[in-house]
Amino acid sequence: MAGEVVNVLEQTWQWFADPASWEGAGGIWSRLLEHLGYSGLVLLIAAVIALPLGILVGHTRAGGNVVVGVAGALRSLPTLGLLTLFALWIGLGLTAPVMALVLLAIAPLLTGAYAGISTVDPVVVDAARAQGLTEWQILTRVELPVAVPVIFGGIRNATLQVVATVTIMAYIDLGGLGRFLIDGLAVRDYSRMVAAMILAAILALLLDAVLAAAQKLLSSPGLSKED
Amino acid sequence: MPETASNAIEFVGVTKRYASSVAVEELDLAIPAGLITAFVGPSGCGKTTSLRMINRMVEPTEGSILIQGEDNRSRPAYELRRSMGYVMQQAGLMPHRSVADNIATVPRLQGASRADGRSRALELMDTVGLDRKLAKRYPAQLSGGQAQRVGVARALAADSPILLMDEPFSAVDPVVRTDLQQELVRLHEQLERTIVFVTHDIDEAVALGHRIAVFAEGGRIAQFGTPEEILRAPADDFVASFVGRDRGLRRLTFASGRELPLHPLADLADQAGRPWAPWELLVNDAGRPAGWRFRDREVTGGTLFAPGGSLREALDAVPLALRVGVAVDAEGRASGLLASDDVLAAAGRERRSRYGVAE
Repeated sequence: MAGEVVNVLEQTWQWFADPASWEGAGGIWSRLLEHLGYSGLVLLIAAVIALPLGILVGHTRAGGNVVVGVAGALRSLPTLGLLTLFALWIGLGLTAPVMALVLLAIAPLLTGAYAGISTVDPVVVDAARAQGLTEWQILTRVELPVAVPVIFGGIRNATLQVVATVTIMAYIDLGGLGRFLIDGLAVRDYSRMVAAMILAAILALLLDAVLAAAQKLLSSPGLSKED
Repeated sequence: MPETASNAIEFVGVTKRYASSVAVEELDLAIPAGLITAFVGPSGCGKTTSLRMINRMVEPTEGSILIQGEDNRSRPAYELRRSMGYVMQQAGLMPHRSVADNIATVPRLQGASRADGRSRALELMDTVGLDRKLAKRYPAQLSGGQAQRVGVARALAADSPILLMDEPFSAVDPVVRTDLQQELVRLHEQLERTIVFVTHDIDEAVALGHRIAVFAEGGRIAQFGTPEEILRAPADDFVASFVGRDRGLRRLTFASGRELPLHPLADLADQAGRPWAPWELLVNDAGRPAGWRFRDREVTGGTLFAPGGSLREALDAVPLALRVGVAVDAEGRASGLLASDDVLAAAGRERRSRYGVAE
């Protein structure tokens, strides 16, 4: 058994070492790009829906329970099941998996935005209002800047989940790193499946590092010095 | 006490009703310009609600509030709020902005450039006694007292004739509170703004207010007048019980202890038959009093009488068992002894000269 594992890892390494694995339409580079493209598209759509909604509910503090409930419900939906359902409903193509993945990404984005804004110290918001900031100024100059770390937590969380789950796109014959998983499984080439997992993990970590850097850039140093 | 004819703020038949309760009922009150007016009363009596209706943080259900004769609803709420400073119990500083940026909030909203806002902030830091070195710090790096001073500076930056303060010093420790109170009196003398000040502490109201409005349950004003009027002639039982039994003592807060004679510290050495006979004053290397030694036991602490103190503080500094108290100079070094006989005599004279009666 242990020998087999070593064997698979060795084959994986050989596959990575072979320049032919990287090039061409089905090569690592093009699959990585597809994976990134799908992930970006899903996150963008989910962000456009979830962030303004979470921010609005956080600012008005009305409907917070609904947000928490909806996010919890979304989290419990199995994405592969949704994908199958949507594919049966609207057919194959990009729309069905994107819809399924958007639903997956909405939960962390929505809760991050809502929690970030609604947990800004109400005393600070009250003081800002009493100084004569308009509601829009309170949102853009106080609540959003203070909420940056929490909102980014949601974005990073969503990114990790989406990058990991975009692999299911290959299930309905689309590209991305999932191709290596599905195709590898079909021909019992486990080394390629291991390779796909490693690549997805590295991609997720890289994206997280980029987002962490962006978060640091956008967060005021005053926020990290809080006890 | 300065007298002015004009009213800065006027409540006309103001009522604030919430779904199940009345916070303020039919309030009529004229707040004189250029003075400190304290709203005092037990919690839940509508004093904070009344204050917040001035800058429309709370909208009245009925009635109107005039600011320098003009209805406060005649312009947008945010504009009204920018025109008056507001200090609250917790400083409520923006955690992501530096001290200077926090102070410059209103000037920047009114279109001041970044540089102008900054130089204004630095000036105001001087005004409220904050080291300019703190300008680049963030609120989380400040002590409670410093944060509160930043809050005051931010309110002053509006450069408005009206300053609203909602229990501004109740969240800081007592030593810092006394400091900030004195600072406020100094600021008021310097800037001559109209200050409305909410507190639940009658001592604070008496120490700071030129006028005091005593609020009773349901947002009714039980009495409005000068501190001395309220202490001397409480309008009803509620006011009398609220200002308390030791109001005679409180009045001594107004009287300076400057005239009290200081006796040399060496008098303590004369122990024969003296009430302080078993007590020995301990003084540390810096010359500051460190406590007393009483039959081999050391008793630290004890109230000291500092320069500029009131008669009330002098009275606090004289333990009746000893019949003497210790006075210190501006550096905190023991400088002499206060005799209880002198303090009591001065308190008696003060009562007679002020009210023409001995109590």
